[in-house]
Amino acid sequence: MDDKILALFQLCDSNFPTGAFSHSYGLESYIQEETVHNVETFSQWLQVFIQEQLLNSDGLACHLVYQALEDEDFQKVWKLDRMLTVQNLPRETREGSMRMGERMLELVQSLYEIPALLPYRKRITEKQSFGHPAIVFTMVAHNLGVSKSTTVLFYLYSVVSSLVQNAVRGIPLGQTAGQKIIREIQPVLVDAATAIGQLGEEDFGIVSPGIELSQMRHERVNIRIFMS
Amino acid sequence: MEQWTGVLHLNAEDRKGKTVAKNVYYQGAFKVMRPIYHDDSGRACYYLLNPGGGYLDGDRYQMKIGLGENAKLTLTTQGATKVYKTPNRFAYQESEISLQAGSYLEYFPDPLIAYQNAHYKQKNVIKMHPSATLLYSDIITPGWSPEGERFSYKSVQLLNEIYMDGELVVYDHLHLKPALQNIRGLGFMEGYTHLGSMFVVCKQMNPSFLDQLYSLLDKNTLDYKVGLSLLPVSGFTARVFANTTQVIERIFSEIHRHISHEWFQTKQYSLRKY
Repeated sequence: MDDKILALFQLCDSNFPTGAFSHSYGLESYIQEETVHNVETFSQWLQVFIQEQLLNSDGLACHLVYQALEDEDFQKVWKLDRMLTVQNLPRETREGSMRMGERMLELVQSLYEIPALLPYRKRITEKQSFGHPAIVFTMVAHNLGVSKSTTVLFYLYSVVSSLVQNAVRGIPLGQTAGQKIIREIQPVLVDAATAIGQLGEEDFGIVSPGIELSQMRHERVNIRIFMS
Repeated sequence: MEQWTGVLHLNAEDRKGKTVAKNVYYQGAFKVMRPIYHDDSGRACYYLLNPGGGYLDGDRYQMKIGLGENAKLTLTTQGATKVYKTPNRFAYQESEISLQAGSYLEYFPDPLIAYQNAHYKQKNVIKMHPSATLLYSDIITPGWSPEGERFSYKSVQLLNEIYMDGELVVYDHLHLKPALQNIRGLGFMEGYTHLGSMFVVCKQMNPSFLDQLYSLLDKNTLDYKVGLSLLPVSGFTARVFANTTQVIERIFSEIHRHISHEWFQTKQYSLRKY
């Protein structure tokens, strides 16, 4: 099992070039408005982001996509790809996720031969699907034989670790402070992954209005280091 | 099959430039008044009524609205939607809206006021032709309690789904649970008390229109905060935070005025309420 986990680690690495380093998911709007300016305020923001957006969208999608792959129900996977995209109302985060999904898909196709990736890529090329990193990640994890709960937890971790690196650059925070945040957020991620296990499709896509509004307002941030 | 507390079905069609009801059916605690024609555009305006005055424990409402080709309709309520406390079962409203080619629907319900311990769920499903136009808005207030305490409701859940050519194109899901969330805080309402949402789907939308709206609305003020973004189909969404219903209504009215003027060369009329 160790070799499977190690293989999934590669995708969680914040150096894995999917473009996640250029997306702040609206954090930059808070930084510019100075409501997020230190470790404390960032940790507060991160917790809301995880519990009120990441959990109900990307996190729940991992869970549902994994289930659909178990059932070999690809129509369900394509449906979730669409739901993930159209529930993402702020244009920058929506288009950012599509780009990251496509980039990740290309990358993992050069690393693995996974049957599910082929029709997904074809659908994206033909504009029938949009592309999302949560789906690509789950396809790889499922193919590796990693469990569903580990897949969800590792995906949440991958998003959060990139986001903390971005906060370290953007706010800015010290490198040690960043690592401390990643350490302290781990129980929150474990709880989120457990909570996701109890959710169903009817819970999908619930967003926190503040985080979403800040993602929309990011389009108007003039001097920026992030694309969303 | 569970019973509905109130049912309303309304189908409207265009007859020589004037929109008229093809059939109207209502039952129980849901009613619609005779249409009003505010101008000579042929657009019919219907006011929805809840004769019971508010939603009670376990109430279930169903609305089905259909617009035929080129029909034009404004739909609004006569007053705020009040949801009283629901000790046993949540109150529920679902709406199914179907818009055929070239049709135009404005659906602007009054704000939602959820009382102390109220649990409310609402689902709107809109199926539209790519050439149809939809303008929709809703406003969630911090509710009401006898002690004047805000956010004392238990749960407010609003779901909007828009389909075009059978494909889901917009999915909007809010679920406010004040007892479990730091609702006034960072990431939620950011210190504000009222939340407004607007969806506009229209083939005439273009990115520069969004720039115009931003310069019109995005003032340096503490009274409100507005976010606008393009949808994956031709259209946009707006979210507004404020501390009163009136401020959000003013912003939505401004957007409505701009759309009427720029896209339809018509003057906006006010929805007079008595």
